[in-house]
Amino acid sequence: MVNITVIFSLQSLFLVGCVPGCLKICANVMSFLLTPLFHFQTSRDGVNWDLSEAVPRLPGETRITDKEVIYICPFNGPIKGRVYITNYRLYLRSLETDSALILDVPLGVISRIEKMGGATSRGENSYGLDITCKDMRNLRFALKQEGHSRRDMFEILTRYAFPLAHSLPIFAFLNEEKFNVDGWTVYNPVEEYRRQGLPNHHWRITFINKCYELCDTYPALLVVPYRASDDDLRRVATFRSRNRIPVLSWIHPENKTVIVRCSQPLVGMSGKRNKDDEKYLDVIRETNRQISKLTIYDARPNVNAVANKATGGGYESDDAYHNAELFFLDIHNIHVMRESLKKVKDIVYPNVEESHWLSSLESTHWLEHIKLVLTGAIQVADRVSSGKSSVLVHCSDGWDRTAQLTSLAMLMLDSFYRSIEGFEILVQKEWISFGHKFASRIGHGDKNHADADRSPIFLQFIDCVWQMSKQFPTAFEFNERFLITILDHLYSCRFGTFLYNCESAREKQKVTERTVSLWSLINSNKDKFKNPFYTKEINRVLYPVASMRHLELWVNYYIRWNPRINVPHP
Amino acid sequence: MTPIITVPWDEEHKLPGLQSQAIKRCFPVDREIVVNEVSFVRKCIATDTSQYDLWGKLICSNFKISFITDDPMPLQRFHYRNLLLGEHDVPLTCIEQIVTVNDHKRKQKVLGPNQKLKFNPTELIIYCKDFRIVRFRFDESGPESAKKVCLAIAHYSQPTDLQLLFAFEYVGKKYHNSGGSGAVGGSNQKTPFFETYSDWDREIKRTGASGWRVCSINEGYMISTCLPEYFVVPSSLADQDLKIFSHSFVGRRMPLWCWSHSNGSALVRMALIKDVLQQRKIDQRICNAITKSHPQRSDVYKSDLDKTLPNIQEIQAAFVKLKQLCVNEPFEETEEKWLSSLENTRWLEYVRAFLKHSAELVYILESRHLSVVLQEEEGRDLSCIVASLVQVMLDPHFRTITGFQSLIQKEWVMAGYQFLDRCNHLKRSEKESPLFLLFLDATWQLLEQYPAAFEFSETYLAVLYDSTRISLFGTFLFNSPHQRVKQSTEFAISKNIQLGDEKGLKFPSVWDWSLQFTAKDRTLFHNPLYIGKSTPCIQNGSVKSFKRTKKSYSSTLRGMPGSLRNGIISDPDLVPRRNSLILKAKPDPPPPPTSQDHGAEQYFREWFSKPADLHGVILPHVSGTHVKLWKLCYFRWVPEAQIHLGGFITAFHKLSLLADEVDALSRTLRQHRAGSLDAGHAGPDESRMYFRVSAHATPGTPDFLSSAFPFSPVGNLCRRSISGTPLSKFLSGAKIWLSTETLANED
Repeated sequence: MVNITVIFSLQSLFLVGCVPGCLKICANVMSFLLTPLFHFQTSRDGVNWDLSEAVPRLPGETRITDKEVIYICPFNGPIKGRVYITNYRLYLRSLETDSALILDVPLGVISRIEKMGGATSRGENSYGLDITCKDMRNLRFALKQEGHSRRDMFEILTRYAFPLAHSLPIFAFLNEEKFNVDGWTVYNPVEEYRRQGLPNHHWRITFINKCYELCDTYPALLVVPYRASDDDLRRVATFRSRNRIPVLSWIHPENKTVIVRCSQPLVGMSGKRNKDDEKYLDVIRETNRQISKLTIYDARPNVNAVANKATGGGYESDDAYHNAELFFLDIHNIHVMRESLKKVKDIVYPNVEESHWLSSLESTHWLEHIKLVLTGAIQVADRVSSGKSSVLVHCSDGWDRTAQLTSLAMLMLDSFYRSIEGFEILVQKEWISFGHKFASRIGHGDKNHADADRSPIFLQFIDCVWQMSKQFPTAFEFNERFLITILDHLYSCRFGTFLYNCESAREKQKVTERTVSLWSLINSNKDKFKNPFYTKEINRVLYPVASMRHLELWVNYYIRWNPRINVPHP
Repeated sequence: MTPIITVPWDEEHKLPGLQSQAIKRCFPVDREIVVNEVSFVRKCIATDTSQYDLWGKLICSNFKISFITDDPMPLQRFHYRNLLLGEHDVPLTCIEQIVTVNDHKRKQKVLGPNQKLKFNPTELIIYCKDFRIVRFRFDESGPESAKKVCLAIAHYSQPTDLQLLFAFEYVGKKYHNSGGSGAVGGSNQKTPFFETYSDWDREIKRTGASGWRVCSINEGYMISTCLPEYFVVPSSLADQDLKIFSHSFVGRRMPLWCWSHSNGSALVRMALIKDVLQQRKIDQRICNAITKSHPQRSDVYKSDLDKTLPNIQEIQAAFVKLKQLCVNEPFEETEEKWLSSLENTRWLEYVRAFLKHSAELVYILESRHLSVVLQEEEGRDLSCIVASLVQVMLDPHFRTITGFQSLIQKEWVMAGYQFLDRCNHLKRSEKESPLFLLFLDATWQLLEQYPAAFEFSETYLAVLYDSTRISLFGTFLFNSPHQRVKQSTEFAISKNIQLGDEKGLKFPSVWDWSLQFTAKDRTLFHNPLYIGKSTPCIQNGSVKSFKRTKKSYSSTLRGMPGSLRNGIISDPDLVPRRNSLILKAKPDPPPPPTSQDHGAEQYFREWFSKPADLHGVILPHVSGTHVKLWKLCYFRWVPEAQIHLGGFITAFHKLSLLADEVDALSRTLRQHRAGSLDAGHAGPDESRMYFRVSAHATPGTPDFLSSAFPFSPVGNLCRRSISGTPLSKFLSGAKIWLSTETLANED
């Protein structure tokens, strides 16, 4: 956005030239007000529309089949249409004259395909396919009963929606889109740490994990206390679940307190201790002289942490870690979150539970979980920003709740992460490089829809970001569309950004060479994702109010498929 | 045995310390008299600690409770203030309940108007109607003075007679001073009061209503004391018939015209016909007359509001629960069950019900081309809300500030909404019900859903709500226009005021906002997002002001807002498309529905599938996910709920700067084009914006902004940590008006 004061001071000189510039700002604001957010399904970003062709196609996308079906629209009833299936998407165009319905669904969104009805079932439109999607909707198609007409559609969809089970590549590896910016260059860890003023006297960059032999789910490059040797790190690794040792995520530019992340200590039933780990935590504390205690935030509820001892895990006890104080943040595990989101879907799709909307919403506990995550992140941010102490965050393995807490705290503390590129770096760093198990949590190309590893942890994080953007409408450079686009491509498999569980796996698959980054799409089209109210501010800590009085269900995401609920403005 | 000495404020009570000249000039209010005061009072600021408490003097006047701090530094870090009220002041009419406490004796008492106090209070808690709870401690003050102030507050805030309200005192003095008529107000009143024939006549012409005429049979309130002197009726009904019919209506409230659609359909409100024998016949005559007034002779659609909407007691009960939940109960304890508790208050459900019903009537008027008659027993409660909402949705004029004010004059003040009883200014009415607030809340929902469709901001709505609690103004003081005339004439006679040919005393109007706010503060009423019809538009280098054609609120022009069509924005991407995911916008809008069985549902679906014309009809989304709690109004005093440097106000701030910038540039451009000698001159300060671009201010959000802005929760919500008194225990006051002597002798 144009700098206002510049315009102001220049107005006498470039008066006529400036007015259009100013009006452009207004145009942005107005478009923000007037443009509904519901083009996502027919999003044309980067898609080449060949006007002579009925179906949009990406470079590298190939057409597999098409078929006449009846789409059972939950809002408008059955609509006759032709469905086109490519190796990337399912595209349906209405064949009825009075309906311009179009469905454009990336196959990656599909979680489950079921046959409904049998060859003998009676009743209109009772025979066909029922498709469950990962993005809060279901699709139903009715087909003709004669000649098992659904069989090949079922097989083709299954094949291309779940390529892993059929030894097929995920579409991202076939995608030949070209963008004028390369999203893979957005995040460079050395540069990001340099931005934070690292390395410095107390913190060093280590290449000990260059070949991922210290910890296979961590990034190659880590920032650790200067006084801890690589041998120390190796010994600490033996005492931390999956070798995920405490490493630096963020350092306060002035008071030099830090956010450190790791996994749980391997205390076990017998209450094992590890001198190296204890000493290491003390070394972390001592990187800042003024601090007498290191604060440890265990993201889990107390009982869960205790229960983890049975499987060899646990938490830092008072007697072993004298110079630390530990707090539990009561955030529940991935299974609880998955069930909670399921309940949300139950009350919003296909129909919104109208009669007791608020109490139904309450009974899903979704906002309560959001509240706990935000409350935890606020505490982390407050500790660090006040300079009271450095903070160590962990949960069990340190790749779900820990990622939520560190990234949200960093978003509150560091205005850089509230810009478009800053946010991309934050996601790239705290989530992708630190091994949030995207492949397991989302199940890209995997047919096992009931896998207990699946969970909407990243979605929950994005929801928290949205809640913050609602409370601080001028603090973020990006708009709601940016967040929704990220979530759409979390599932779509069009980009390599969210594929695989960790950096080592991505390197093995040469993801950056063989796929396109989501940030390429976004950064080559930034204007679409900008918040017209953005007011750039440096060094302002955002403290959202994590109260049920302010938290809202993100209607534009969770209920976006319902034409009766959609809102014309954010 | 010492009588209370009443002293005019300005003689004895100069404000302490470094008050600016501006404050002195407007403070105190004329005719305000100090009744009693006590020094060394501590105002509690936080519930859990006394370290922020303020020391000062607590004063009870005949208009308000004042707290003058010893330290003249204001608490607020921003300069937004009511000219009638200091930062810590509470108007007497805003007081809901007075609780005195004695910590040592563990006693507490709710003070009615005629009560004795057997203990010396150590603490005074004032529960306000605007959701504030203020607390004062008397640990260091003289116990007798403290008690007297408490009793004085109880006494003066719970008058038994309308004429004891401050407005009478104030206006009486004004008349005395000017020695004649036309004493108050009258300055730049653009808002029609609908007190005169010509105001109604203009409204008929504005809406293009043919077949309707102004009727003056109620001049001098000869027919009904709860109708205005002038109102509008079908042309085909003769005065003589109306006079006869009037006897059959409850309160003699015969049909009143509210508004006409450009298609000729009219909105009419009336009371029930109580005369059972005549009912059918009169009803028929009225309906026929309304049909005759319709250019297409369309039928009449009757809406029985008593049967379809929550009643006033239910609305009051919901409001009490809402207040209890928002401010009385501890913040943390209500968090877990917040959503279901909010649902259980039923407040939002009622707001939805009114919005939904009004939208359905919009469909009848706009799409089915039928005239609508709102029926209600007395026709002066629910009808006010529904008639107003229908007009706000249909007519963009009522979404401007002047238009909205004229709507309130027309459908509330003149239509005989019983402000005195419903606001419960005399604190003894069982008839209290927040219908006016419910209307403002429903308007806020529309504003929230269509932020560019309203000229006013949510601050305006909140301030308007607060103004119903300031007894200086006549606007919201009476049950009917007749009551104003009758009461003030009596008062004038008793005070030897010459009224001349005026009908009653002219009280100051709320619409004279300069009485409450400076010009700068009033700019906060303006919504910077509003795409007004008078927004100057620069086209091909020349400034144009585009005007809406008279009938552009009809459905035919729905499409783009005028401003877009006029070429500010040429980017085709900006054409909003709703529903493009499922139903792509069709190239041509379907012809307007003509058949009667064209359902409301289909009308709504079609309407929502197209971009809204902000200068046309706007319809509310009424699903549970869309109707929200008006946080500014209900949470503004709750410190825990404030988002520091956040909330919508921050976007408002940013937008104001942009709008101010555009204004400044176009002003300069205009001068530049004009080529006049003073082209370089910046011209007078004519900014519409509260927040302005300034060269010396640092960019970014000002530090004083919070989601409660311009209100300050600091010190305005101090729940008692122990034994708070639930509002439900409110005791209605006794009816005997104590003389000051009795009060002073009470020991």
